[in-house]
Amino acid sequence: MKIGLFIPCYIDAFYPQAGIATLELLEKLGQDVEYPLDQTCCGQPMGNSGCNSDAAAAEALFVRNFARFDKIVMPSGSCTHHVRDNFDAIPQTDEVRHVRENTYELVEFLHDILKVEEFPWAEFNHTVGLHNSCGTLRSLRTASMSELGEKPFSKPMDLLTKVKGIRFATPKRPDECCGFGGTFSVTEEAVSARMGVDKVRDHYQAGAEYIVSADSSCVMHQQGCAERAGIPIRFIHIAQILNGARS
Amino acid sequence: MNARDTILQALRTNRPAPEQYPLPPVVTLGNLDASVERFVASLKLLGGDVMERQGDETLDAAIARRFPDARNVCSAVPETNGTMRAETLKTPQDAQDVDIAVVRAAFGIAETGSIFLSEAQLPLNSLAHLAQHIVILLSPGEITANMHTAYQTRPEFHTAHYGVLMSGPSATADIQGVLIRGAQGVRSLSVWFT
Amino acid sequence: MSNRPVNHARAAEKFLEDAPHLQFHDERLWDMRQKRDDQMHMLPEWQELRTEASRIKEHTLARLPEYLERFEENAKKNGIHVHWARDGAEHNRIVGEILQAHNARSLIKSKSMVTEECDMRPYLEKRGVTVTETDLGERIQQLDDQLPSHIVVPAVHKLTSDVARIFAKDYKTDPDIRDPHLLAEAQRQAARPVILHADAGMTGGNFVVAETGTFVVCTNEGNADLSATVPNLHIATIGIERLVPRMADLGVFIRLLSRSALGSPITQYTTHFRGPQKGGEMHVVFVDNGRSARLGMEDFWTSLKCIRCGACMNTCPVYRRSGGLSYGAVYSGPIGAIIDPTFNERKYSTLPYASTLNGSCTNVCPVKINIHEQLYKWRRVLVQHHEMPFVKREIMHMAGKLMGQPKLYRAAISATETALGTLPRFALYNWLNPWGKHRENPHPVKQTFHAWYKANRTDKASKTEDSR
Repeated sequence: MKIGLFIPCYIDAFYPQAGIATLELLEKLGQDVEYPLDQTCCGQPMGNSGCNSDAAAAEALFVRNFARFDKIVMPSGSCTHHVRDNFDAIPQTDEVRHVRENTYELVEFLHDILKVEEFPWAEFNHTVGLHNSCGTLRSLRTASMSELGEKPFSKPMDLLTKVKGIRFATPKRPDECCGFGGTFSVTEEAVSARMGVDKVRDHYQAGAEYIVSADSSCVMHQQGCAERAGIPIRFIHIAQILNGARS
Repeated sequence: MNARDTILQALRTNRPAPEQYPLPPVVTLGNLDASVERFVASLKLLGGDVMERQGDETLDAAIARRFPDARNVCSAVPETNGTMRAETLKTPQDAQDVDIAVVRAAFGIAETGSIFLSEAQLPLNSLAHLAQHIVILLSPGEITANMHTAYQTRPEFHTAHYGVLMSGPSATADIQGVLIRGAQGVRSLSVWFT
Repeated sequence: MSNRPVNHARAAEKFLEDAPHLQFHDERLWDMRQKRDDQMHMLPEWQELRTEASRIKEHTLARLPEYLERFEENAKKNGIHVHWARDGAEHNRIVGEILQAHNARSLIKSKSMVTEECDMRPYLEKRGVTVTETDLGERIQQLDDQLPSHIVVPAVHKLTSDVARIFAKDYKTDPDIRDPHLLAEAQRQAARPVILHADAGMTGGNFVVAETGTFVVCTNEGNADLSATVPNLHIATIGIERLVPRMADLGVFIRLLSRSALGSPITQYTTHFRGPQKGGEMHVVFVDNGRSARLGMEDFWTSLKCIRCGACMNTCPVYRRSGGLSYGAVYSGPIGAIIDPTFNERKYSTLPYASTLNGSCTNVCPVKINIHEQLYKWRRVLVQHHEMPFVKREIMHMAGKLMGQPKLYRAAISATETALGTLPRFALYNWLNPWGKHRENPHPVKQTFHAWYKANRTDKASKTEDSR
């Protein structure tokens, strides 16, 4: 199985450690992973704004880069959601369909495809609050949603509980949106920032030292809010913990 | 084309294909317990009360005990005459000074502690809402389990012109979320099983 | 009506500046969401109820003309007059004529969002009819000359002190009252004589049962019952989409409505009107006002399933932090954002963007409207119809081009890193950078992932054919 690794723009530019951890983790698990150097963006910012025709160039380039892989894995729930569910600015050829159907977010790939049972190299002696982005939660269904009263399940928790030493703190509003929302963070900046600081404060007051997430876009926003508000909480991508980061 | 025909025509033109959306069969879901205990628990949750019978006291005595300051007790039931008969009310304005209305409910619903009143039980519909308090006579045998069973089995929904399910007294939480009983309608609703 | 797009963001920013109001608003509505959840957990059949409700509504909408005709036939048999209004103006004219025929100069009414759509009150007041809202929240808003901010709790954005100030002006009560009980009692005493002497009463209609010619009104105060039974003229204003086929279907909807709205099993009053009372007259005015047109929109017709419970507003993190009035429309929150563009596409073009597309609304909707997906689809429609502001469109256009060209893209990222790493704070945080108004910028890094990969995995480096 040849895996193509897609690294979203904000991870490439601001959280390269999350991308490196993703790659190293997959390699540790014996996977054949390659990162096509000509990749850019999945087109989500344009798509989510309704400017679908402007997403076409990015989407076409994405397919050109990734069509030859068996699976495409990315450390981003929102990008995965865009590719699987909204990638229609370009004609839907067999190649496009192949790419769309074989794109996975990292956690779901580890949990559902590789079915990883243990991370022997991992240890994280801290209290963490898990943040599931709305994309991973409600579109990719990586965990149960509080609105539905369903039997609780959580793929990220299943993975994290395999990490030695880790402790969890639960915020009062576990799956309320943190307010990033892509371009929303800029066009509705006041509401976005308020949602972000509320989210961070919720985790901090629950006792979390770290907020861990599978989505660095949310993290980028929450971190900005935390720093401005002087809330001393740290942020880490789930790939980093699973890959063996100690802090 | 008049408004009616214009609207109906637009609906016929625009509607999605009916064959794709068949009518689901009627369902009866949920807890089917129709006991007095369940009814009482639900009633209390929504702010209603049970008027307790002390020993073998009469309805009159129970009302006097519960509402010692009431002067105008307007009854629509044979079990008590109160201070006036509801049948003598000619207009809603006649009911404006009623302290206690005494009526019999056609039935109750255990799921919600609701009681049903219609013009068959109310000589004047607005009596149930202008009175300050209401006492409801209810036969335990006329309690149906839940909303499904009520709507499917009670004939009153097909005969009454005015049919109200009252579930506890009037209430509101419109001012800073504070729950207030006795907003516009009755301040209390008490059930007397008989 | 002004066509200028509603500036939700600016209104929200102002709302956020008032800490006590914001805190109450957010916590109160979140509490209502929690209470809804509590009810859901008590009913193992909750998801089944939602599915049934959705199916019944979709079926009904697909056969709406037939069910409307059936209702009309049954209603007329029982002595109800049935009227039809294509739009708000026609509705107001019909209501005005009914009132005039009865020499009615005073009207008491319970909650009806449709009458807000039609802007009925000013029309009637100009014609010498005094209109008094009997719902406490609606009355507060009427006295304050504001639209309701929430479809179930119309004054949820106000604190007790605000109500005390308003009642002091109109009811001459003490402006320093802080006990809501005293204010509610003042409303009760003030409303009573108005109710007793009103010439006519008006209600809305939550559900309309075709099988029996019944319409149902749900309230907690009993003010619809007072409005309908005290005067001997009762007018009900109802949107055409409120039909359900059978009396039995009410079992599904009544069980869902109040649980979704307030987290209580049922409203204190659930009233079934099937015919006029003795000596009385009953009228139903059906209002279209764009609903029949919406039925023909492939992506948006299911919004007509809405039973106006407000659960989407309660759960929406944006609504809770911006307040209903920031949407500048009769319907606010998530449901407002997907139906208001059908009333005025330009004016409400900003509303589908007042959302993070998080999807919580869709999950709480008792009739399973896919609200967040419709928000997404509306964005595409608005862009296609050129309703997106020029500046935003141009930015997206340029970003789209940049994303198609790897070399230019890399250069842009590199430039951003340099800027973030070298520019002084005043250059990075100013009016040009909305991100930085309430947040710190992301930190620049010495080495992007791309650069790291090239440096550390060069044997794996791959290139596609030159992509331009």
